[in-house]
Amino acid sequence: MTNVIKNISLYLSFVKTSMKEMLIYRLDCIVGMLSQIFTELVEILFIWIVFQNTETLVGWTFEHILLLYGITLLSVGISDFCFDALYDIGPKYIKRGDFDKILLRPIHPLISIIGDSKEFTALGYFGLGLFLVITMFIKLAIPVTFGLLLQIVFFSIIGASIIGAINTIFSISSFWTYRSNEVIWSFYRTYTFTQYPIDIYNGFIKLLITVILPFAFVAYYPTMNYLGMNSYMLYLSPVVAIVLWVIAIKVWNFALNQYRSTGN
Amino acid sequence: MLKSMLKIGKMRWQEYNIYPSNFYLFTLNRIVEVVVYIFVWQAIYNQTGNAGGLSIEQMVTYYILVTALRPIILWGCNEEMAHSIRNGQIHKELLNPISYFQYYFGMEIGEFAFATVVGLATFVCCAIFWKVMIPASIVHFLLFIFIILLSVPITFSLQMIVGTVGFYSNSIWGMQILRKAIISIFSGIIAPITLFPQWFQTLSNFLPFKELIYTPINIYLGQISLNEIGIIIIKQMIWGILLYMLAKLFFNHAVKKVTINGG
Repeated sequence: MTNVIKNISLYLSFVKTSMKEMLIYRLDCIVGMLSQIFTELVEILFIWIVFQNTETLVGWTFEHILLLYGITLLSVGISDFCFDALYDIGPKYIKRGDFDKILLRPIHPLISIIGDSKEFTALGYFGLGLFLVITMFIKLAIPVTFGLLLQIVFFSIIGASIIGAINTIFSISSFWTYRSNEVIWSFYRTYTFTQYPIDIYNGFIKLLITVILPFAFVAYYPTMNYLGMNSYMLYLSPVVAIVLWVIAIKVWNFALNQYRSTGN
Repeated sequence: MLKSMLKIGKMRWQEYNIYPSNFYLFTLNRIVEVVVYIFVWQAIYNQTGNAGGLSIEQMVTYYILVTALRPIILWGCNEEMAHSIRNGQIHKELLNPISYFQYYFGMEIGEFAFATVVGLATFVCCAIFWKVMIPASIVHFLLFIFIILLSVPITFSLQMIVGTVGFYSNSIWGMQILRKAIISIFSGIIAPITLFPQWFQTLSNFLPFKELIYTPINIYLGQISLNEIGIIIIKQMIWGILLYMLAKLFFNHAVKKVTINGG
């Protein structure tokens, strides 16, 4: 347990350095954020067009879907910010031989890699998510109590850690292929499935996003709770997060033992 | 000249195929992207018996074709171009015995070939999971292919315009995303144009983007009469020439400003 706490505090000090780095590339950061928001707006345009043709989608109104969308973006923003460097394991660390340097450090290599993340553009996701959540809470006239606020903060972080754990699991492919980004990306993109009520999917996809890649626990079940539709499933989220992280670390350590330097 | 362009295209193709896993992962990516759209429209169809004025088979076919065509329309080499400007590689490319535009058109041929193969694979995989309509007739199918080929000059010129911005700014990433977003909205990638408001449809009639995705798919589905297609072809050609000239002018103007970083 003390080991876990030590690692997390070490990680936080890494994040602090990345934050400072953000101030150096101010213009790139702003352009990146704006373009990220722009791509999301294209998706929102699709939702708007869908609701020109129907009043509700399996019982969800336009505002409900946008709230779900916003809550998802909160978690995605946090996880993109914190775990972005997982994409670099293959191309940047292993292929170039920088991974050997990281192995020499007296901390777990996973910590030094994810601590290196500095995806400022993720703040665009986060900002847009926050905007959507606030406007939709006002539109739907949901009373924002302190408890609800606390729930949103807590479950957004849990959601981000679920995404992070799934990405960590798939990042091990880089130990064999030296290129992890496409593999992670392919599986990561399935989170977009959970930006819509899962009742629209067939059995296989429901199984995929609740059990195999449990992205439904990131935002879907929490949002159902905030909307008063189903209040119990969300308490499984922390359990899912912990189980996934245990698996992720086990798998990652196994892959680490298989590591062979590229000898650069 | 054509021969050397094809050689460059082949090089580009081989670059993609260094990792065979690329092909499978790109195809998987495509399929993941289309799933959401199809299920959303199926849910609406089940509720109201109508999916935006189209039958559900037409809608599913529309989105599957969109996913198959998307790489052909959106992928390109403007990232490479901006990169070569940034790291000074451009001085070699400008000294090539073939012109800069021809060099990149060669690259574009390679991209196009790879995108076509990925698109075809996506289409075949999706056809296993969902019911896909076959083309309205063989003539419609050939016209579908022809219209897509006519879009090559348009997409290539857009790529060159965005790449040329690399002379002025260090990162064209934002411009890249802007290009993709504009094409996505106006070409009918996110939804058939007929579902948009009236003013938007009028606007998209004047812009070249509609002919990249929406029109070819509607020809495939047999929604456009053969008489109209003649006008569409003329419009495509005019836009292609216009954009090509614009790209050429912009590039010729910008290349005078080139400062090579540590070349």
